Amino acid sequence: MIKSSSKNNSKPVLELKNITKSYITGTNSFTALNNVSLKIFPGEFVSITGPSGSGKSTLMHIVGLLDNPTSGEVLLNGRDISKLKEHQLAQIRNVTLGFVFQQFNLLAKTSSLENVLLPLLYSDVPKKNRHQIGVDLLTKVGLQDKMVNTPAQLSGGQQQRVAIARALVNNPQIILADEPTGNLDSKSGVEIMNFFHQLNEKEGRTIVFVTHDMELANQANRTIIIKDGKVTEEK
Amino acid sequence: MLKPSLNDLLKSSFKSILKNKSRTILTSLGIIIGVTSVILLTSIGNGLKNYVTDQFETLGANSVFVSPGKIFNDNGGFSSSSMGSMVLTFTQKDYNLLRRKLKNVEIMPVNATYVDIKSNYDIKKGIEIDGTNEEYGKNNNIVTSKGSGRWFTNEENSKKAPVIVLGYKVAQTLFPKSEAVGKKVIIKGKTFKVIGVADQKGSSFGGPSVDDTVYAPFSVVSDLSGKEDINMFSVKSPNKDSIESTKKEITKIFLEKYDKDAFSVFDSSQLLSSINSIINVLTIALTGIAAISLVVGGVGIMNIMLVSVTERTREIGLRKAIGAYPRAILIQFLIEAVILSCFGGFVGVVLGSLGTLAISNFFPAKVTISSVVVAFGVSSAVGIIFGVAPARKASKLSPIEALRYE
Repeated sequence: MIKSSSKNNSKPVLELKNITKSYITGTNSFTALNNVSLKIFPGEFVSITGPSGSGKSTLMHIVGLLDNPTSGEVLLNGRDISKLKEHQLAQIRNVTLGFVFQQFNLLAKTSSLENVLLPLLYSDVPKKNRHQIGVDLLTKVGLQDKMVNTPAQLSGGQQQRVAIARALVNNPQIILADEPTGNLDSKSGVEIMNFFHQLNEKEGRTIVFVTHDMELANQANRTIIIKDGKVTEEK
Repeated sequence: MLKPSLNDLLKSSFKSILKNKSRTILTSLGIIIGVTSVILLTSIGNGLKNYVTDQFETLGANSVFVSPGKIFNDNGGFSSSSMGSMVLTFTQKDYNLLRRKLKNVEIMPVNATYVDIKSNYDIKKGIEIDGTNEEYGKNNNIVTSKGSGRWFTNEENSKKAPVIVLGYKVAQTLFPKSEAVGKKVIIKGKTFKVIGVADQKGSSFGGPSVDDTVYAPFSVVSDLSGKEDINMFSVKSPNKDSIESTKKEITKIFLEKYDKDAFSVFDSSQLLSSINSIINVLTIALTGIAAISLVVGGVGIMNIMLVSVTERTREIGLRKAIGAYPRAILIQFLIEAVILSCFGGFVGVVLGSLGTLAISNFFPAKVTISSVVVAFGVSSAVGIIFGVAPARKASKLSPIEALRYE
């Protein structure tokens, strides 16, 4: 098990160096992120928080390789990914990162199992192994009896668990969650957070999540607070 | 290696298409109509060509025809100027000239007129009666079936014997209940003895067929029409290789007497290729018109694929976020477009074939493998061409904006 205290004697899995992201709409320019630098170490459980419009979502998109910074470097395992082509970024998103969204983003009219297996379509995992991987993961999130159900037949908490199983399917280095409990009732929200804790503590998985809820953010080992596009506090 | 595999792509494409069954059918309708009409028209054109070829084979092999007037133009098509308006007819002198100068060939003069024929049962009006000789019946295999009598002889010709060979249909009309051979018919008040019934040559559409023609000795028909003129010579060449030399010889003989536009010397293959070239042009023109609906169908597919890309923007965003590279998205949407149009193509081929089958009851239509292959090829090409724009649009969506799309 890797504790957050070990961060000083290991290399960061993800590092942002002087990231700036600005949008130009017409004649107005708006800076969403202003010279942000941060490091995420293996095995960390990190929350990113801040008021709405602070730039935390933009930060998440850049960390998740879904968006390019205007300037600055993104290093993944020490490798600068800013010059990679779209298909290479796609491969990193597929293999190295696992996403969990506020809206779950499951395919409608598609079974839980198929939703979990979706990222494997774009991976090198042999076909014959795929089914078992999906079954194992759904069992792990406690949905072994909901494999054939479609999202419409599941509760919000169950849908988010399917989404977590999907994020884990390629055994990623980092799990990125954007307001993972934002669309859930408080009981389901607690369940999901507990599940993240388990993944971090028992399996040593690196988890980064964004939330506007300070209380939730404080459950992480480390909290990064963003305000007006700048990291104002780390604790 | 393609990721996802083609198999996975096909599976997910079929799935998304089947989610919207009625939309799929409506979208494919344009292609269905286009392919059905292309198949039907090529089948009809092809059947027509086969039919004409068959009919020409009944004209007899190794035959050279000499006819008054200019039948072919310089390009091998039919001449427009003198078709039908036969200014000149040949005479007995021409016949004698050919007989004297041509060796190793059989010359058959044909003198045609139209008459009404009466039997005890019925009357047939406006029947073509061909006056000719013994060789004509033999070379064209007109009477071969057992029990259907015989063709007339040259002796009967010179004796002006009142004998007649009835076409198959004429015999059936005039003698519906009994054997025609041996019975009597009356033409222009004269009594003729039926000595033979021609073999059935097959159905015809529209125009008269040889089944509706009757034959009598040349001298007899001359008496009926009151003219000694010869409408056409049929010349039997000894073999296939000598057809060209026979044609040249006849042309040489007649050029001494007539202007070059006053007569035509041709063989059945020439006539056949002229007719076939007309049928080909017609078929291509009609198929071209039908193909326009394939383009319209393609636009329909493009339209619905653009709608589908918009509807599935979030799905595209998600797929990209979890690792779909742009080309995987492009191929997925392209395959969906191709499946839609190939489905249309398949249904079109089935409907076109069924339609051809129905038509073939009264018209000689036949589906060709090549038309099926072309129709299928064209419809998948339509899918690719009209699928590219929506698929590109999908593959270029930004994942974040796509995920935010409501």
